[in-house]
Amino acid sequence: MHNPVDELMERWARGMARRLSRRHFLRNLGGLMFGAAALPLLPVARGAPAPAGGAADPGDPQSCEYWRHCAIDGFLCGCCGGSAHSCPPGTEASAVTWVGTCHNPGDGHDYIVSYNDCCGKTECGRCLCNRNEDDKPLYMPFKSNDYNWCVASKAGIAYHCSTARIVGVAK
Amino acid sequence: MRSNNNSRRLRTAAVALLLGACGGTAAAQLPIEAGGVEQLPAHPGAHWVWVNDFSFFALPDGKAFLVDGDAGRMLGLLSTGYSFAALVIPHDAAVIYSPETYFSRGTRGIRTDVVTLYDPVHLAPLGEIRIPPKRASIMAMIAGAVLTDDDRFLLIYNYTPAQSVTVVDTRTRKFAGEIETAGCALVYPTGPRSFFSICGDGSLLQVALTDQGGARSRTRTRELFDGLKDPLTEKPVRIGDTWLFASFEGTMYPLKSTPAGIELQPTWPLFSAAELAQHWRTGGLQHLALQRSSGRLFAIVHRGGTQTHKDPGADVWVWDLASHRKVQQISARNKVASIQVTQDDKPLLFGCSFESNRLDVYDAGSGKYLRSVEGLGQTPGLLVTP
Amino acid sequence: MRPPLGAVLLAAAGAAQASPALTPPAQAHYMLNCMGCHLSDGSGAPGRVPSLRHSLLPLALQAAGRRYLVQMPGASQSALSDEELAAVLNWMVRNLSAQAVPRGLVPFSAAEVARYRATPLVEVRATRIRLLAGEAPTGPR
Repeated sequence: MHNPVDELMERWARGMARRLSRRHFLRNLGGLMFGAAALPLLPVARGAPAPAGGAADPGDPQSCEYWRHCAIDGFLCGCCGGSAHSCPPGTEASAVTWVGTCHNPGDGHDYIVSYNDCCGKTECGRCLCNRNEDDKPLYMPFKSNDYNWCVASKAGIAYHCSTARIVGVAK
Repeated sequence: MRSNNNSRRLRTAAVALLLGACGGTAAAQLPIEAGGVEQLPAHPGAHWVWVNDFSFFALPDGKAFLVDGDAGRMLGLLSTGYSFAALVIPHDAAVIYSPETYFSRGTRGIRTDVVTLYDPVHLAPLGEIRIPPKRASIMAMIAGAVLTDDDRFLLIYNYTPAQSVTVVDTRTRKFAGEIETAGCALVYPTGPRSFFSICGDGSLLQVALTDQGGARSRTRTRELFDGLKDPLTEKPVRIGDTWLFASFEGTMYPLKSTPAGIELQPTWPLFSAAELAQHWRTGGLQHLALQRSSGRLFAIVHRGGTQTHKDPGADVWVWDLASHRKVQQISARNKVASIQVTQDDKPLLFGCSFESNRLDVYDAGSGKYLRSVEGLGQTPGLLVTP
Repeated sequence: MRPPLGAVLLAAAGAAQASPALTPPAQAHYMLNCMGCHLSDGSGAPGRVPSLRHSLLPLALQAAGRRYLVQMPGASQSALSDEELAAVLNWMVRNLSAQAVPRGLVPFSAAEVARYRATPLVEVRATRIRLLAGEAPTGPR
């Protein structure tokens, strides 16, 4: 499970992931609000995944150090025929998952990231990442990456890879 | 000039020809072999260990390797299906239980969960008990499946994501029922008819069982630890009636079974202030081991931030349980994520890591490295001594 | 040294365009603590995670149901404070209910949440079934 992170990566990763508990940083929210159904003003790919990169979404989505992967545990779907927000062909996105926040150094915002797994085939086996930023034990499931989150997928628990999908903007 | 090897070969060939020509004597010929299948002795060796491979790159192909720690030899293997965690072995080791998950088409189709019973002498299935297809598919944990203290009931943690415990009656070899444990995870036995689970608010759920394996009572303790500030890891060791849990920051929480229920005993730190300042912490998948007769607690340690609580380490430190003092520092030859120790009077210390497939063997008293056994599966995880 | 006015205006305009809309706090809390299982529209996973869409309102309209909504372990054991949990529950009732929310519905308060949260609920499934079947729940408060 563990992809060894050398000291440099560790320091960098620590700087990237928010260390404050969710109770604290969410209290400091300010800025404009557009109502209860506000959606983030971000491109949502349909069909072919939009290429990442650019100032607002920096880094390589096929690497463990990509900012969205601050708490990912598994194989990156971007290396498996999918992308950070889409599943490879023939797999099923698990709706049930766990959700965390990661800091985007490109625009300075904290994004709410949903780590939906893609299920129904054997493990992709490529680009294994295990980052445990703010990970909690199994008795706190909403913050645990040690569960196979294909658990409620219609395709069954066969785990293939993990996405890191932006679903909101915390700060 | 001919090489010595060539001379030797020629001489051997000449002798063979001569002997053959003379009709051959029995001493020069290898016997015909009848073939056959090995079997193990009726009782496990004191230095045997099961290396349970959760096979993270091929989850349908879980397996367990039986290794003789003295001989450095593999003795046999069990094939154990999808999302395998560990074999569960009763005190008399007369049978081996294995909670297993299978799909009718490998990774898809109809899911079936069973507890397979294996013959420990022939390492072959004796039968299976069907259980609800809800067995938690999680990182391998001992606390995912355990026996009550009298080995009568096998308790298996379910996650669908609803949380419950499947109870299997090992005497009748039947599914006995399912107990809801909402908000709480994993299973820690505390007696012949009792166990607890750990709840998300830092309390415990105490469950008492009837003789049929149903829930006689379910009660929650008060909050015993702060899961947001310094959670307990889920991987304790047990001495007598006390479970010893290590928190993320290295504080030991002794949870003692009393007639009144589980009681938290005074906590104590593994690390000194200086060591904490240097970010020493425990890490790994099975980071604690306990040598009961000598009262020595082993822990895999490394230096790193909170997010490294599952990382392997290159050091194993030893504490004396009576005094809470660190008494030994073992520098591991290879990084380890799981350790286990035997309970005899010349104990061995085993270590493995999911980053390699090697089992390392040490003298648990001196810390001296003895040997390694290579090629043990894909991601060896939990170490279980029979 | 103050930047030239033009630069400030340009920066402001650029920031307004580039900056994404922040998710409202109650919704963000829902996403981080509840959405993982109950999904963005509260529909859950059939047979595994109950849908909230038809049960939130009936439960919120009765005292025992309100107690259940707080005591359900995913809610009571979340990382949310009493105030935050009250806000999330109010957001959920208003945004995830399939039925229209009556004007007289009393919002959850932090004090009410704290009162219910003091007692953990052990019989979760049975309580939910009894409440939605219309019977009064039994067992410890």
